[in-house]
Amino acid sequence: MEDLLVKLLEAVEFGKVDKKSPYPPQLRDMDGAHELTISAIEAGIKPQIILEEALIPAMSKVGKKFAECKIFVPQMLMSARAMGASMFQLKPFFASGAIKTKGTFIIGTVKGDLHDIGKNLVSMMVEGGGWSIVDLGVDVGSDKFVEALKNNPGAVVGLSALLTTTMVNMGEIVSTIRVHAPETKILIGGAPVTAEFCQNIGADFYAPDPQKAVEYMNLLAS
Amino acid sequence: MKKHTISLHPLGKELRVNDQTPLIDVLHEFGVEFPCGGKGTCGKCKVRLLEGDLEISAEQQTKLDLLGLTTDWRLACYSMCTGDITLEIEQFKHLILADETEFSFTPAFGYGLAVDLGTTTLVAQLIDLTNAQVMAVESMLNPQVRFGADLISRIQASMDGSAAEMTQIIRSAIGTMISQMLKKHEVQLEEVILVGNAVMQLIFCACDVSPLSAYPFHTSNLGIKILNTTELNWKFQVRDSVKFYPSIGSFVGSDILAGIVATGLHLKEEYTALIDLGTNGEIVIGNRERIVCASTAAGPAFEGANISMGMRAVTGAISSLNQVNGELEATVIGNTPAKGICGSALIDAVAILRKIDKLGMFGEINSGEGDILLTGKVRLTQKDINEFQLAKAAIAAGLTILAKNLSIELSDISKLYIAGGFGNYLNIENVVETGMIELPAEKIVKMGNTALIGAKMFLFTDLKITEEILKKSTLINLEANHDFQDIYVDKMLFL
Repeated sequence: MEDLLVKLLEAVEFGKVDKKSPYPPQLRDMDGAHELTISAIEAGIKPQIILEEALIPAMSKVGKKFAECKIFVPQMLMSARAMGASMFQLKPFFASGAIKTKGTFIIGTVKGDLHDIGKNLVSMMVEGGGWSIVDLGVDVGSDKFVEALKNNPGAVVGLSALLTTTMVNMGEIVSTIRVHAPETKILIGGAPVTAEFCQNIGADFYAPDPQKAVEYMNLLAS
Repeated sequence: MKKHTISLHPLGKELRVNDQTPLIDVLHEFGVEFPCGGKGTCGKCKVRLLEGDLEISAEQQTKLDLLGLTTDWRLACYSMCTGDITLEIEQFKHLILADETEFSFTPAFGYGLAVDLGTTTLVAQLIDLTNAQVMAVESMLNPQVRFGADLISRIQASMDGSAAEMTQIIRSAIGTMISQMLKKHEVQLEEVILVGNAVMQLIFCACDVSPLSAYPFHTSNLGIKILNTTELNWKFQVRDSVKFYPSIGSFVGSDILAGIVATGLHLKEEYTALIDLGTNGEIVIGNRERIVCASTAAGPAFEGANISMGMRAVTGAISSLNQVNGELEATVIGNTPAKGICGSALIDAVAILRKIDKLGMFGEINSGEGDILLTGKVRLTQKDINEFQLAKAAIAAGLTILAKNLSIELSDISKLYIAGGFGNYLNIENVVETGMIELPAEKIVKMGNTALIGAKMFLFTDLKITEEILKKSTLINLEANHDFQDIYVDKMLFL
């Protein structure tokens, strides 16, 4: 049983989606996240355990390696895909309440900005950290964030921007959220964003990489 | 180190260079093209030696003999400066197009001026309109660079209150360049034609750039702009007018329109592509029916930004790397010790490191170390390689998505031109090796400055031609494509 979890952890860490996927070469012809999750459920391992002892630690390893420049976007995305294959099998258990997430994370790329790869990577890593995700997409204004917060009270909000010229829109979104849901924790990130900018606009946390976002949110959840 | 003077006749330019400086290093910035890429086969970069000595290697002699060139002719791509010399650049007597043909034009009267207003570099040439000869050249760094290297930082600076100053300094810089040329040749200018990207156009024409700061990036100010010397505060006369040519769209400017004209892609039945590896990284694919274009964020890495020891293709930059007996051998622009690496050598480095298995398929340094020593003190870090991957993937994904838009395969493209500040130094085999351009090397042609060639052609052509091209052209937003993320990430790999 534990062996299955170790294998699933490895499959997600190295981005092995299913048996037929060619990557990574060292896991060729072996079961991937898809098969291993099915086997784990059939073996009677609790879905919550599958999440906490395989998926979360695997994505945490991925996040750390990315932050240390040991891996890059393609490997991170493959791991996220493998995680997605596993999550797909776990979906009914999330829906039934058999798996409890740490909370909800609302994320979007801010108004005027269409870049979504960075936002997607953060979203996937936070999901892999055990959170439910509400992804609002790109070019998102403050009204949509406020509405999503109404539907998901107590959710943490993440704002992404890739341009210096759109980053400024984060300020308006933060202050609007502060009016409607003052207790909301807001984290921001993206290439031009800095800790100083975060402080200036009154956001709660600047995440220089996806892993830092996950670590900050884990602190909030604990 | 010993210094020499190169005098360019009849341009009236004097250049001080280090001993052993290859002529290609100093001539390309004035718009001299090396169509065969320095292989010595096309003869288009031939110069006439009017004074001084310029050694001929046995290899160059063979090439000169093949081309039927005698005594006072030299190939600029094969020559190194070892003493004071005076040269006449043959290419400036004709207008050579991207496909190596000579521009056929109807001679006009008087003199015209063509300006390539680049984000980083300004180049201007004074043209005799009776015979298309280049009479004078000037080149300088865009003085706006102190407001930031890339377009987004220029837009930001302009919105932060520097708009008027940025307009003033660019108008004044170009006015000064033209005045300097008119000092050497006291002639009456008929027309001044400027090309540049949309942001450069808006700033030069004193229009608001803020619409280009965020989605939907729309402004109605991108059409042709006709200006007069009084409003520009230029102290010389222009009989007809000063024209800034129209942009194709918000991030694809008249420099690309000029590139389209210079490559003739709008005239051909088969598909032709043009990639400008400048700051903006524009890509065009088209034929006489339809043209699609896009800009990518690829440029800055090739211009040295975000690369720890990256720099532009100027003196001190490694321009190419070769593997000789298992060792990396660097060629440095201006024959000085290497200070950094420019785009062409970055491509060489990655291609070679991948070939000798120092890099894995994901771009990882296989030794597990944080960086790789290339030569002297110049290193490439893991982060530099990742930056390169983002840039090459942007180009490769852009080509793929544009081809899909035309419902064609990449293999349907019969020729692809690469323009850019370091275009002359590119090793095409290495470009292909990195996966940046997924076409066979023999279909790829490198150029230096197609924008300047096109701007010169505009001096002889009717505005209708550009209107027709604009009608056929569509600007594609790459990121709006559903598959963009998958394609982009996929192209980051080295397969």
